[in-house]
Amino acid sequence: MKKKAITTLLSLAFILLALVGCSGAEESNSASDGEKTIEFMHLWPEGSSAKHNKIVSDIVADFESQNEGITVDVEVLSNEQYKDKIKVLATSDELPDVGLTWAAGYLKPYVEAGQFAPLDDLLEGELADSFVSGTTEPYAIDGSTYGLPLELNVANIFYNKAIFEEYGLEAPETYEDLKNVITTLKENEVAPIALGNKDSWTGSMWYMYFADRIGGSEALTKAISGDGSFEDPALVKAAEKVQELADMGAFIRGTNGISDQEAKSMFMNEQAAMYLIATWDLPNYTTNEQVPQEFRDSVGYFKFPTVNGNGDKDSFVGGPGVGMFVAENSDVKAEAKEFVSFFIKEWGEKSVKEAGVIPATKVDAESMELPQMYVNVLNDLNNASNLTLFADVQMNPDAAQVHLDQIQALFGGEVTPEQFAEAHEEALSKQE
Amino acid sequence: MNKVMSNKWMIAIYILPALLLVGILIFIPLILTAYYGLMDWNGIGAMEFIGLENYINAIQDKNFWDSALHSFLLAIFSTLSLAIYLAVSMILASKIKGADFLRKIYLIPMLLSSVAIAQLWIKVFNPTNGILNRILLFFGVEKPPIWLANPDIVLYAIFIPILWQYAGFYILIYYAALKNIPNSLIEAAKIDGASPIQIAYKIKLPLIMGVVKVTIVLAIVGSLKYFDLIYVMTGGGPNGASEVMASYMYKLAFSTNDFGYGSAIGFLLLIITLIVTVIIRRLTANDEEVQY
Amino acid sequence: MNRLGYIILYLCLGVVAVFQILPIIWLFLFSLKGNREIFAGSPFALPKEWKWENYLKVWEGGIGTYFFNSVWITVVAIVFTSLFASMATFAITRMQWKFNKFVLGLFMVGLMIPIHSSIIPLFSMFLNVGLIDNPWSIVITYTGYNLPITMMILLGFYYTLPREIEEAAVIDGCSIHRMFFRIILPMTTPVLSTIVIINMIYNWNEFVFVNTFISSDKYKTLTVGIQNFIGQYMTDWGAIGATLVISLLPILIAFIFFSNKVVEGISSSAVKG
Repeated sequence: MKKKAITTLLSLAFILLALVGCSGAEESNSASDGEKTIEFMHLWPEGSSAKHNKIVSDIVADFESQNEGITVDVEVLSNEQYKDKIKVLATSDELPDVGLTWAAGYLKPYVEAGQFAPLDDLLEGELADSFVSGTTEPYAIDGSTYGLPLELNVANIFYNKAIFEEYGLEAPETYEDLKNVITTLKENEVAPIALGNKDSWTGSMWYMYFADRIGGSEALTKAISGDGSFEDPALVKAAEKVQELADMGAFIRGTNGISDQEAKSMFMNEQAAMYLIATWDLPNYTTNEQVPQEFRDSVGYFKFPTVNGNGDKDSFVGGPGVGMFVAENSDVKAEAKEFVSFFIKEWGEKSVKEAGVIPATKVDAESMELPQMYVNVLNDLNNASNLTLFADVQMNPDAAQVHLDQIQALFGGEVTPEQFAEAHEEALSKQE
Repeated sequence: MNKVMSNKWMIAIYILPALLLVGILIFIPLILTAYYGLMDWNGIGAMEFIGLENYINAIQDKNFWDSALHSFLLAIFSTLSLAIYLAVSMILASKIKGADFLRKIYLIPMLLSSVAIAQLWIKVFNPTNGILNRILLFFGVEKPPIWLANPDIVLYAIFIPILWQYAGFYILIYYAALKNIPNSLIEAAKIDGASPIQIAYKIKLPLIMGVVKVTIVLAIVGSLKYFDLIYVMTGGGPNGASEVMASYMYKLAFSTNDFGYGSAIGFLLLIITLIVTVIIRRLTANDEEVQY
Repeated sequence: MNRLGYIILYLCLGVVAVFQILPIIWLFLFSLKGNREIFAGSPFALPKEWKWENYLKVWEGGIGTYFFNSVWITVVAIVFTSLFASMATFAITRMQWKFNKFVLGLFMVGLMIPIHSSIIPLFSMFLNVGLIDNPWSIVITYTGYNLPITMMILLGFYYTLPREIEEAAVIDGCSIHRMFFRIILPMTTPVLSTIVIINMIYNWNEFVFVNTFISSDKYKTLTVGIQNFIGQYMTDWGAIGATLVISLLPILIAFIFFSNKVVEGISSSAVKG
């Protein structure tokens, strides 16, 4: 009987050994002779972001063919999974050599922990003067830049021209106009504004625009940085305006329980007349073949209206989207930086032409044949007086969470504008 | 008999594979979670030891207790639902015609992944296009509820898909337990003239009481650490109205970079679950044969 | 029960059955629509144009490897879990030793850990032993994390097994292994089928561990195939529906197979018992 016991135990031990054994063998393989491997993680899966995915593959292939002995090992995850995985990798200081990051509040802890490498040498060297001004700043901490942005997004209100025409409406110039539009649409039982506030950064953009128009381009940024206050009358007023719109039924019913995806679908199914979103959605209204031509032709956009004659319509909410980082402890840091530099140079023109991205790098729009809406947006950007980075990106993650929760409470009428301001002040003061 | 059944070697061989796996894969992470809870750590940079500060903060954290309350409500509803699942299982396990076919159909929803279930119920609850509100409108309800956006309703609305999702799991267990009852006992009762309801209550129920107790523990433990559908369908919102302990912990650890604090919450979740489980087992272990 | 009672009972059962079957129909219709129809139209409306290309898209996305990985990982983990859990439950409930209640308590505590607090420690452990990006990390994790719940389900059944069986076996000079593999395991077929079904569903649908521990495409499982269609700004819901349908089919077939075993097992064990 004992014999049997021992054989059982031995076989178990054998299984364990076999497991460890095969993994060990594989690891030694990857680190072998002269060949260098750059690990690159991104968040554009082939199924949902085919065009982005293809551009990345093309750039990677070009890079590999121009650099003998270097392979780029690409791992693709979806947005949520990407964020979670980066988080887990960071706890063991195991970040990929090159990856994507978000600006400001997201980036800060990685920089403070010394996990991202400064990329100033690229920015001042090979990539000098490549970026649209103002796009790399959100990636800078204490004078060094740790991420190089790929996209630039600004938010505008997209609207359904066909619906507007049907009820004799015009794109509103002022807040009063906007309210009239909403009233008319409501009278005709058309949902005025598609907003999926389950994701709450969507509602945040409405608040931010009101803050900008009423308090000027600096008010919100200063309140977040601590040089100003959320209790500033202009910012309280902005919160009041949000509630005014919510109370008059401007947003689709149950907006706090609806995701941005669902809200977007309502707009695209002509069940709502307006939709505030950033320019990453442009392809849906211009080149995306999956969307019926008729609908694409009927979409226009207007800049966020002025409020009581205040506000500069050339001031935008937006900012750079994802940017590339290089891991500080990468074994192939020099090669990784080279790859990033190569990638950024290739990305600009390719991304706007093939995927409809507004890139953060300067591109020669005239030389390309772009849909009219792109030309208009690029013109807007050239004439922009200010670009305010999304509030939840500006704040550190803790305060951002409070902000997003409070936005839902504000839209749901659970807090007064004063309480809304107070909660922000409290959250921000904790961070000092 | 005793000699064979108390052979130390044999016991070790039978218990060790499971014990080692659970020890390494669950207990080490558990101890580490408690340990991270003592740290000020954002999960990215260096750790700093801060003693019990995270645990003390958690005990004073209103959001944590709100989420705990929500988890408890879910646990209560889940436990009460067991009665329904049990009744259904009794019907399916009885010899009515078509029971076998019906049972398979009843268990189908449990095969669906949470992604599918969440998508389905998001569509059921949609305030304007959703099936539920369309039915309510049809019956003349003027302003049907905005299920997932109303902070007073959202929690209960989201319990429905959770309870529905798990129905199959418990029915499956009860069914197997009921089928395990020797036929002779039931036949004997029938000859004595017992009605089906009497048989169910007086004979079947006591015989599967051990399994019922296990399912009570599973329902409570499962509810207290529940995460999936809530995260996908509401993200804990609006403004925390449907936050449960596990989603709160996830938010802290993965979204707001409070990994130390999140770990403390995770460990407290375990302690709370442990206390509740011990109490429940004391309450249910009233017969002389205390089995587990 | 009288006739009317039966009619009402069947009516109720029938209504519930319809409700339980609707999700599958919904999922199938969902998988044949585009985003516009999915969000706007009634969920049970027939697709305006049947988008079979959703399935083609999914197929071209290289789902074959994922499918294969899902199958073998699920199967191997189920075998390990069922075997180890049965052995441990047998030792705890049938053998005589001092600390059995305590060890049982340990397994129960294992039920209570929320997976999101174990991901990070597990990751660093697997990293240390070189099991990151190795499918065995997934097999081991599934086995370990399903052991407590599997044992809990087994417990109730093991306690009800009559003692006389072992006594008889011991008197016959039967070894423990023989007793366990030849007598006890076959007697628990119904509950084994039950735990196989439950483990199968858990392993098949799990994605948090796979996403975290696996990087290479060649080791990923079907649930990751779904991620492929979730975009940063735009998600292809039709294709997700198609992936869900494809991943549902094998588990549905396996479920029906094992579900029959729950009944068969009883009748055969009843003869022996």
